[in-house]
Amino acid sequence: MAAAARRALSRRWRWLVAPAILIAAVWLLRAATAPEAPLLPAGVLRVGVDPSNPPFAFYADDQIQGLEIDLAQALAQALNAQIQLVPLGFDGLYDAIKVEQVDIVIAALTPDPLRTADVIYSVPYYDDGLVLISPADQPINAMELLSGHALAYPFGSEADTDAHRWLRRIQPFATQAYETPATALDAVRLGAADAALVQATDAHVYARAHADWQHVQQAVAHTPFVIATNAKNGRLAGVIESSLRQLQTDGTLAAILDRWL
Amino acid sequence: MIESLTRAAWFVAGQWRWFVRVGVAVALLRLIVPAPPRALLEPPQTVETRDAQLCVHTRLMDEVDEWKIQRTLQLVRQIGAPTIVEFFPWAYIEPGKDSYNWTAVDRIVRHAQNQGIRIIARIGLVPAWARPAEDDRPTTLNELPETAYADFATFVAAFAGRYAGSIDHLIIWNEPNLAFEWGYRPVDPEGYVRLLRVAYEAAHSANPQVIVLSAPLAPTLEPPGSPNGLNELLYFEAMYEAGLADVSDAIAIHTYGFTTPPDAAPAHDALNFRRVELLRDVMRRFGDTDKPVYITETGWNDHPRWASAVTPSQRIAYTLEALSYAESQSDWLQTICLWVMRFPASTRSYPDGFTLVTPDFQPRPIYDAVQAFARGWSPGGALWLPPPAAR
Repeated sequence: MAAAARRALSRRWRWLVAPAILIAAVWLLRAATAPEAPLLPAGVLRVGVDPSNPPFAFYADDQIQGLEIDLAQALAQALNAQIQLVPLGFDGLYDAIKVEQVDIVIAALTPDPLRTADVIYSVPYYDDGLVLISPADQPINAMELLSGHALAYPFGSEADTDAHRWLRRIQPFATQAYETPATALDAVRLGAADAALVQATDAHVYARAHADWQHVQQAVAHTPFVIATNAKNGRLAGVIESSLRQLQTDGTLAAILDRWL
Repeated sequence: MIESLTRAAWFVAGQWRWFVRVGVAVALLRLIVPAPPRALLEPPQTVETRDAQLCVHTRLMDEVDEWKIQRTLQLVRQIGAPTIVEFFPWAYIEPGKDSYNWTAVDRIVRHAQNQGIRIIARIGLVPAWARPAEDDRPTTLNELPETAYADFATFVAAFAGRYAGSIDHLIIWNEPNLAFEWGYRPVDPEGYVRLLRVAYEAAHSANPQVIVLSAPLAPTLEPPGSPNGLNELLYFEAMYEAGLADVSDAIAIHTYGFTTPPDAAPAHDALNFRRVELLRDVMRRFGDTDKPVYITETGWNDHPRWASAVTPSQRIAYTLEALSYAESQSDWLQTICLWVMRFPASTRSYPDGFTLVTPDFQPRPIYDAVQAFARGWSPGGALWLPPPAAR
């Protein structure tokens, strides 16, 4: 009885599987012969940028300049494509990708898990996370080593929040809030505090303005900046990804960062 | 191959008792999952303030945890703001045609009432079913085709009727003079006024007491023909020419100071706080100055690097001056709403510089300053150390 039922089921399986294989073959054939969507639908690489965020992108002399503009141009060069910069406001960045006004967005974006249905993010091109800055002759290389020292940070900032989080985890340290990242870093440079917790970009900008100040920098938290590409254009996302990795490997990205930070 | 697959299927089918046992165990385990934290209502609260115009824009509909809604509204009450503007996305509430889910709105209303706070509701954001099919081109949540205006009006009526007596102020849409806010289509003041007309009539039919505010416009100098949008003064004039006066009970306005103090003189080629006066000039030209004005977004940003930001101390000084300005204009200016109380999560970018409270509820310096102003307290001590000197 059981063997007969199994044989009957086996016959039914054959009837189910054979059409399924046929359908799959037809589908694969159509996919293979379908014309491939263009890599750059407009014929140029349209890059959405937010020109209100120096030193990443900003207007100077009626031109958009900045780290992200140089990066966009390097990517366009890698793609052997002309570039079109599309200035956007922060609120409209993702919609501009969705309605295909731009091919990619380079605008200090951090990955947002809620957006991954619409966009594909690249590897990070920059990390604007929190960094711990201390004098080179009295280095403090980790937050765990702050106990008994004085930490400066900008009031009400992410660093402020993080400093108080660390106060609950390690032996006490003195907290010194300042109005701006620059004055918090002044406190360390001038000896009023032992270390400062600020965002990496603020540290870079400050270090550039005080090139003779010997200090050490240690990453504490990460804020990766990534490029967003329309999820419907996975091929472009792949090319952007590989090009960005190439720019990292050949030193181009490092040179761009060095120029602006 | 098929024979072995069939044998495997029969083997699995023979283990059905184990499937049942595992299923029962999983169901039982699910029963002992802890309940989400509840936010019990407090005894009814009232807002203590000397600034009845003060208002803050909140972002509560994106909150998952009810206690965060309650905590945010407690901080709103404690700052001394009797009014909030909250955005209620149509797409969240009516995800399918005629299929409403009011849960998120209900809990905001419940907690706002508990804290003694009035809500001004901003309505927009189009559900997928009301947008054009994406066969030809992609659309955004801000694209509402004219053929779906009636659907929007139906929603507005449902909202106005359900919350009559609880929410009696409705803002229809947001910044339609920006292409982004109009679904990345060319901006269309006449089209917007047609939308406002159907929403106005629907709202009033559902709640005769409702006050319908026209959409606030984004401050911008974009010239006619720009793909990004249109200068809001020109757009506002076009709205009046299309009949705005007849289909609005009040005018909502967005005005930002950017890098200038609030007393910077208004000018057609400058974006600053007193640009609100130029919008009022337009109202005057069309004989509509009896209509109240609500500033539903304003403020300064203190991000350390944004091109349009100021320092935290400038932000405080400018904001308090703006609140004093509003007091001096109280014969026509109903509210002045600060953008923004708090984001549910950090944007990790300069928009965070507009907040009064961090995502983890740490008040920023501006919060304490506005609170002292609104509640008539003497300003507290310094919140930060003076710039250091070499020792």
